[in-house]
Amino acid sequence: MPLTPYTGPWTKAEAAHLLRRTTFGPTNQQILDAVTNGLSATVTALLQIPAITEPVAFHPDETIVPFGSSWVNAVYPSGAVQAQSVEVARQWSLGAWAMERINKEQMTIAEKLCLFWQNHWAASPGFDARATYDYHALIRQYALGNFRQFAKDMTINPNMLLFLNGATNNVFSPNENYARELLELFTIGKGPQIGPGDYSNYTEDDVAAAAKILTGYYVDGLRSDTLTDVTAVYNAILHDTSTKTMSYHFNNAVIPNNGANEYADLIDVIFLQDEVAYHICRKLYRYFVCFDITPTIETTVITEMATTLISNNYEILPVLTELFNSAHFYDITVRGAIIRGPLETLYAMMNSTGTEPAFNLATDLEMQLNIYWLAEIMGQAYASPPSVAGWPAYYQEPSFSRLWANSTTLKTRFDVSSFLTIYTGIPVNGDFLKLDVLNFVDNLSLPPDAPTVIDDMCDVFCPKGVDVVQKTILQSILTNGQPAFEWTMQYNDYLANPGNPVFEDPVRIRVELVLAKLFQMPEFHAM
Amino acid sequence: MALASAGTPIIINKMKLQSIGKELFEVKKAYEDRVLVIIRLNGGNDGLNTVIPLDQYGNLTNQRSNVLVPQGSVLSLTPDIGLHPVMTGMQNLFNDGKLGIIQNVGYPDQNRSHFRSMDIWSSGLINANPDTGWMGRYFESAYPPTYPTDYPNATYPHPFAISMGYQVSETCQGIMANWSHAVNDPFTNYNLTASSVLNDGSIYGGHMEYLATLIDQANAYGADINAAATAGNTMSTLYDPASQLATQLQYVAQMISGGLETKVYILNINGFDTHDSQVLQTDTTQGTHADLLKELSDAVAAFQDDLNLLGLENRVAGMTFSEFGRQVASNASYGTDHGDAAPLFLWGTCLSTNIMGSNPVIGSTVVNQEAIPMEFDFRDIYASILKDWFGAPAQDIQSMFEHSVTFYPLLDFCNVGISEIELDKDEALIYPNPCYTNSTIRFLSDGEWVKIDVYDMNGQIVLNVLDSNISQGSHDVPMETSGLPAGEYLVKVTKESGSVNEPLIKVH
Repeated sequence: MPLTPYTGPWTKAEAAHLLRRTTFGPTNQQILDAVTNGLSATVTALLQIPAITEPVAFHPDETIVPFGSSWVNAVYPSGAVQAQSVEVARQWSLGAWAMERINKEQMTIAEKLCLFWQNHWAASPGFDARATYDYHALIRQYALGNFRQFAKDMTINPNMLLFLNGATNNVFSPNENYARELLELFTIGKGPQIGPGDYSNYTEDDVAAAAKILTGYYVDGLRSDTLTDVTAVYNAILHDTSTKTMSYHFNNAVIPNNGANEYADLIDVIFLQDEVAYHICRKLYRYFVCFDITPTIETTVITEMATTLISNNYEILPVLTELFNSAHFYDITVRGAIIRGPLETLYAMMNSTGTEPAFNLATDLEMQLNIYWLAEIMGQAYASPPSVAGWPAYYQEPSFSRLWANSTTLKTRFDVSSFLTIYTGIPVNGDFLKLDVLNFVDNLSLPPDAPTVIDDMCDVFCPKGVDVVQKTILQSILTNGQPAFEWTMQYNDYLANPGNPVFEDPVRIRVELVLAKLFQMPEFHAM
Repeated sequence: MALASAGTPIIINKMKLQSIGKELFEVKKAYEDRVLVIIRLNGGNDGLNTVIPLDQYGNLTNQRSNVLVPQGSVLSLTPDIGLHPVMTGMQNLFNDGKLGIIQNVGYPDQNRSHFRSMDIWSSGLINANPDTGWMGRYFESAYPPTYPTDYPNATYPHPFAISMGYQVSETCQGIMANWSHAVNDPFTNYNLTASSVLNDGSIYGGHMEYLATLIDQANAYGADINAAATAGNTMSTLYDPASQLATQLQYVAQMISGGLETKVYILNINGFDTHDSQVLQTDTTQGTHADLLKELSDAVAAFQDDLNLLGLENRVAGMTFSEFGRQVASNASYGTDHGDAAPLFLWGTCLSTNIMGSNPVIGSTVVNQEAIPMEFDFRDIYASILKDWFGAPAQDIQSMFEHSVTFYPLLDFCNVGISEIELDKDEALIYPNPCYTNSTIRFLSDGEWVKIDVYDMNGQIVLNVLDSNISQGSHDVPMETSGLPAGEYLVKVTKESGSVNEPLIKVH
């Protein structure tokens, strides 16, 4: 039975809820457009993965390709020291590129989904930036695609082979690392331990058998000064040719030797179990809707999502289409139920105010890289989760997203939001990145009207708005304690004198002060 | 604060001279002052390459020759047990009686998943949903359980636990909140903006209340942490500034010496999941694991040196833990895979054990996936620490765990003589005795001039402890004995109401 479609009111509150969950931060205008376009058309538009450009060299340590060019199919220099220096430059390029993707996202779920999958297949970068890029390209390719084929391709992805020791897993010495996480985290998931070595959905023997099935691959081309790509290579000598038998959890499936394609046979056997669908649907639900999977949610929403996934041959797109069109997604109990992660916090400030660095290529990318490092300080270094299970805030009971917020990380959030608004901005090469608050306020519904300005700000940033007392405080900051018409006059003067700092600065400063306060209110930190 | 040289009158902490009337309060106060430092070895530490069973060395070569350190390089603690060659700092601690090893710590039906096993170790719960941590449950049993609503307050002005870094520790998860406070740098000024939002009972409302409370707490605790760190001292020159662990332990020493009343500090060191390249192919004494062990060993040795110099040794104890050990046989990637039990370290001057348990028995041939079986249940180690170190009642401790708890004497050396001893006027009590670098003398005063000196066996005064007018009542005065050579001494308490002589033995 499919999820009940949502048929209630479609206002700014519902549209903003959808956009906050599926993007890093909508502008007021994007919310208004979604209201105009309606629910169904908005969901359809969001569930597209746009094509993107490759990361480019911007750091002087990149000695192989010219400034501004892609390096993803370029060799490394000869010599370990030189190659390491280029590797660091490429990793920085990747980090800045990933941040720029988030900052420049259009009306699409792509970046949120890439973060989801990057948390799911939580392989950290290392070794060779080209392999790390290929891993991200694979994630983007399958973000809304076929989960089964995704699992197959990921199993022999060079970055993953390196990260979980698949590249050194061979018949002479099986390495269980990838096999274990494939079962425990990536596909069927681990249940309670119900017997010695038996984790409800698979056994220790399954781990050992899967490790044998996966033997035979290694990685070629790492930091090569002649090869332009990193590839996974199968060598029959390294493969365990014995016949493997899975446990009763997989109906005692027998997997005979199938050489280079045997890994795909294993994935097919695993995906015969419906628990795979349940496992990934629970993760999708927790990421996009709410951490709290009650027994009722399990038997209704999760079950229905899993049924949709199975009946669509493990295609992700129909599941999310159904979810974002469902009544449950707009239920008042799940609104504001997620505490923003570090990246969601930082890019909500950036994207919802329409802020993009616009200095020059090197400065812009370095500014993005600075935001990457700020997110790392707050607990979320993109592409480098703390463990192969991903970030604890996405899976750790009972706190889940509350783990993003503690007194230390909150202080950092406050410091950064102050820097982006009332302080100097993030400095790079003598330029400073601050929020483009004039662009922000100019694009609100009725900028000269102080109460509307505050209402719009709260609609954009706070999942359930803020109460009237807090709004009064915010408005008094905007009007500097004056009656509302004073703001109106100030704003109209600014409009009448474009580019004149005498009129521009007061408007800018008032809006910055309001945002600095808003970003330090608890209401902003949920979504 | 450099008052360590013998022959100088020593009054380390004037607070200790306050007259304390009720003995019960005094005992509790001794426990209240105590600090536990927990270091998490994240990833699953290879116990067999950390504490090496020398009597099994031959079979170890059959099982793990590509990661095993050469027999001759092992730092012997006893003829049968040695440490990894980089662990000279901990070897010295062991030789000074300040390092304890508990062999083969684990739990029944060991789970080899990092995440599940870390949950088990953090919570101390094996069967139940691990929604609270073991320290969190202890705090909830020992202190008013309204935390965090009414905290900080005048009685408990400081955080109960501090998790060094950006994240709070799961070990301190309570029912309502986490009892630990994340501190990355105690010298940072906190100046956060608070807000108040009503909790309407929804998930969102709960988040709002949680965030608002955190913001308030960050304000209140932040200033005190900052003040303590600034007022505190650090005297050891052994800290490696390049080591994050050493730097964080140094912060901890500064916070303790600055008077922060935090009871538990939790630190973390990542990287113990050594599936491959645990050692260098060319030299098994080097590589990832050796670097980690060296960082741990050096940092703990520096910290203990600092505590000694600061006169804080008897107040602080430490322990390590890791989610599991690793398999007996190594793999072909010069690494080891997830295993079961492993040794656990304790350190401090109040240890009542040096090596507990026996060496694991290593078979002569490789058995697939074989690991070290459990000898001690980690929950009993937790329980014993709560009993010995924090004086938690046995029945309260039992209620925190699922199994029937067994207590081992682990950290009760400094407890001897503290409780249940009432002095007569002609008596004095020295504890601990024998002592290492610090001891304390208890005596009664009628409100009179009291002079306390330490004599050697030749009748020469080697240490002036006290020479002043002392108010009526029982007093505990610390004695800095680190400058004394090992041997027998006599402590003479001279007062108008009658003199007392007590023997003192200094070891090491």
